[in-house]
Amino acid sequence: MLKKGLLGQVIQHLCCLPGVGPKTAQRMAFQLLQRNRDNAKALAEILLKALAEIGHCQQCRTLTEQTLCEICADPARELALLCVVESPADVWTVEQATVFKGRYFVLHGHLSPLDGIGPDELGLDALEQILAKGEVKELILATNSTLEGNATAYFIGELAVKHKVQASRLASGVPMGGELEFIDRVTLLHAFKGRRNIE
Amino acid sequence: MICDAVYEQAGFILKQRQYRETSLIIDVFTQDFGRVTLLAKGVRKAKSKSAALLQPFTALAVSYVGCGELKILTHVDVLHAALELNGLALYCGFYISELILCLLHQYDPHPDVFNDYNCCLSTLASATALEIEWALRLFEINLIEKIGYGLQLEYDFMTGLPIDAAKNYAFNIEKGPYEDALGYLSGVTLQVLHAKTLYDAKVLSEAKLLMRRVIDVYLQGRPLKSRQVMNQIIKRTHNV
Repeated sequence: MLKKGLLGQVIQHLCCLPGVGPKTAQRMAFQLLQRNRDNAKALAEILLKALAEIGHCQQCRTLTEQTLCEICADPARELALLCVVESPADVWTVEQATVFKGRYFVLHGHLSPLDGIGPDELGLDALEQILAKGEVKELILATNSTLEGNATAYFIGELAVKHKVQASRLASGVPMGGELEFIDRVTLLHAFKGRRNIE
Repeated sequence: MICDAVYEQAGFILKQRQYRETSLIIDVFTQDFGRVTLLAKGVRKAKSKSAALLQPFTALAVSYVGCGELKILTHVDVLHAALELNGLALYCGFYISELILCLLHQYDPHPDVFNDYNCCLSTLASATALEIEWALRLFEINLIEKIGYGLQLEYDFMTGLPIDAAKNYAFNIEKGPYEDALGYLSGVTLQVLHAKTLYDAKVLSEAKLLMRRVIDVYLQGRPLKSRQVMNQIIKRTHNV
């Protein structure tokens, strides 16, 4: 039920944000309207502008206001490496955490047979076109380490074989700073299966 | 209303979906209580210990409490190591999960179907393409039988004569096979399906056609999403 008055509506709509309940929304609304009116105006304007202008990068499909995102447009990036991730948020995470110097491809989801999400819904044609060009030499499959994420990685791995591109999957196992005693059994099992020789 | 408190119940996760910020709603197929829907609170947090366990095709021991339709998951542990399903076997795993979701009612216990599901998954994990197909057909026949729609595969229902391996048959889903020179089922296929032994590629393709029609009838027009997705996947990976 929509609350009465403009203030009520602002509070109601702020609740659409993740992690924001009615109480926090109320605080936010009063902060913006009482003490911070300039910032509120700037926020409203930038949100409208972002909504109008931000779309998907033509090449990697991450969020950007340009036709090509900064990463795809950067000539210093290696063409031979392509990292496949599930969401634009994952691109940010990988960018911040690693020294990966290749390019990305965003799936916007994962294969989910029980929800009817297959290759067609994920728009894997675009990925196949990139692979068919022959520039990419290694495909890094950085989908989530869930069953659906693995299924997606496996399927894209098969596409890579079809296009004669080497594919690799992110390792899974013991996290940094993780003490064996506190690690769950499934993760530990993966860690043992994926153990490496010491070089 | 009856409140449940169930401890260490063997079960498999059939389907999971995200709920709010950190929780999951999971459909679990339990051994003694059938299909139940559970709310797993706070499992999608960074430090969650059960996120890695709550995956489909892993034999779990789940404990839950609750009064309404949606119970609360209180504890989960792995019963035995997860099965390694890959490629075709994995997609088939999703398919049998969807059959259970569509054909079994919630809170309707089917320990025998649970055992079949468990066996079928183990077969999928270590089988060739033909063996996988046979495992699926067996699972389908047994499932249909155990939910009360067992197929009559022994006699020609019009004449009452046993099935003749040399003849062709058509199939009435409620009554059984009847002789028809242009029918899509050979007598051999019916005999094999009845005895649940020995098979070859021809038997498998006929059995697939039969079971697909039977299942479609009992789904009452609902499409199987995993089947559609599997078709897309096969089309993409095999057409070069």
